[in-house]
Amino acid sequence: MYRPVSRTASSLLLLLVVILAPVPGGGASANNREEGIQVPNPGTDLWREVRKRQQPPLAGVKPPLNGAPGVDLWMEIERSKLSPVGSTQVKSVDSGTLINPFGDEWRRFRMEWLVPYGGYAVAGMFLLVVLFYLIRGRVPIHAGPSDKRLPRYTVYERMIHWFIAAIFLFLALTGLTMLLGRSLLIPLIGAEAFSLLASASKEGHNLFGPLFLLALALIFFRFVRRNIYQRGDLTWLLRGGGLIGSRHVPSNFFNMGEKSMFWMLVLVGGVTAVSGVILVFPVLGQGREIMALSHVAHAITALTMILVIIGHIYIGSVGMEGAIEGMTTGYCDLNWAREHHDWWAERCENNGEVITVEEAFEAEGFTPGAPKHHRPAGETAE
Amino acid sequence: MARMKFYCDAERCIECNGCVTACKNENEVPWGVNRRRVVTIKDGVPGERSLSVACMHCSDAPCAAVCPVDCFYTTDDGVVLHDKDICIGCGYCFYACPFGAPQFPADGAFATRGKMDKCTFCAGGPEADNSAEEFRKYGSNRLAEGKLPLCAEMCSTKALLAGDADVLSEIYRKRIVNRAGRVLQRGVPYQNATLRSPSGLKGKASSLE
Repeated sequence: MYRPVSRTASSLLLLLVVILAPVPGGGASANNREEGIQVPNPGTDLWREVRKRQQPPLAGVKPPLNGAPGVDLWMEIERSKLSPVGSTQVKSVDSGTLINPFGDEWRRFRMEWLVPYGGYAVAGMFLLVVLFYLIRGRVPIHAGPSDKRLPRYTVYERMIHWFIAAIFLFLALTGLTMLLGRSLLIPLIGAEAFSLLASASKEGHNLFGPLFLLALALIFFRFVRRNIYQRGDLTWLLRGGGLIGSRHVPSNFFNMGEKSMFWMLVLVGGVTAVSGVILVFPVLGQGREIMALSHVAHAITALTMILVIIGHIYIGSVGMEGAIEGMTTGYCDLNWAREHHDWWAERCENNGEVITVEEAFEAEGFTPGAPKHHRPAGETAE
Repeated sequence: MARMKFYCDAERCIECNGCVTACKNENEVPWGVNRRRVVTIKDGVPGERSLSVACMHCSDAPCAAVCPVDCFYTTDDGVVLHDKDICIGCGYCFYACPFGAPQFPADGAFATRGKMDKCTFCAGGPEADNSAEEFRKYGSNRLAEGKLPLCAEMCSTKALLAGDADVLSEIYRKRIVNRAGRVLQRGVPYQNATLRSPSGLKGKASSLE
């Protein structure tokens, strides 16, 4: 198993990176807007003149509000920004709204905030993981690999893990393609080729997106009991999951960081999935505001998950010796379990669940004694 | 170069929906798509006004800014067009547009969005002018024939005008002058002034300048 302390620390560093990072495009787009050609309102000068000559107001005549034409109309239009008060023969959602000012706010969010900072955040997280690896290196099994194994994940548990992993990776890659492709890929491969990629990404994203909700539900029901916070989790947090100092912090089947990631995945991922459903089916009667807000929620929660999962993948693979075995073979090294999940390991040992390497291989379906698979423990960690 | 714009005069529009019909017929737009719509405010009560709305061909178009595949372009005439071969039907332009111009045929599985369709100012698309391919995707290209969009050309009250922004501004200015002439001459409210010619004036007020 992994210790997500690296995430906590790296998130802080990441925050720093994001804060210090310069924003490209922000200034440029502001300039673009100012460059828009100025169209003088042809009525302005005239109405100034009319108002001047109307002083004092003629008897018995109610002067137009503000003296300007169409004020009533514009007040109605202003009101229609909040809810469509107009009527039209074209029957569709929001068709009675003349002007939707929320669209420009959403544009600013996407173009000046989401695309640059989202890109920096993902790139920064990759950089941090690499830096972390270079500084800390791989976390070894201090007692060395043993020849004893503990059953960690059942076939079903591994199956739903890799199910959600595959869907998540696909959705993350296709989502990032659509988010950053215009800035990063169009200059490289051109608009035509990128359109093919983006179109495939969008179709795939829409097709597999709803499956994420299913996968999330499977993960939730299977793992929720082991992820309830318990006594000792606070200690784990206070000691930075063992990152501070060299001692290991005791934990159960899942440690505090893993539990936090589980709840993050369930809550944040739940928002991502639900907002995604709102976006993918535009026929549910939702208006533009709802969809734009869903997009904001979708983008922020999805980016949050991507950042956390990058840390998860790191610590679950190259970041820690013995961490990935549980999720690939179903069995973990006894020494690894003792060092990272000692309460659970102790309980298993008391219950007599410890088996030998040979028995573990046999349980996996390999022929005992077959040299190809029968490597000494430790070398199988990759 | 001209800078093409639409202008709709709320004092003249009678909500006949002729522009909507003309557009649909001229461009043979897909089912469920209306490139233009007439919105009526205060329907049935005093102060009722109608406006015909479609793509306004913004100088700084929000749709073009947010498009993830960069499929929008602005022609030399200031018309905002898009390339349906590039469009992926994500719907972002629809979120960003203030006027609700981008429309999506329910082409995909489970009625998801197909490629975006919107008013082209009767200027077609990136294909060769007036080719069959262009017509199939974008409808008519009247601009290439030296004609203005049919919606404006069909407008019976000349409420909806299309053309170069400077020309439209001048027309609008003259209309305002005439209405204001009535206000100044008779002291009637602006709303009433719009419906009658300024009878107290010799000729049009705008011609007296």
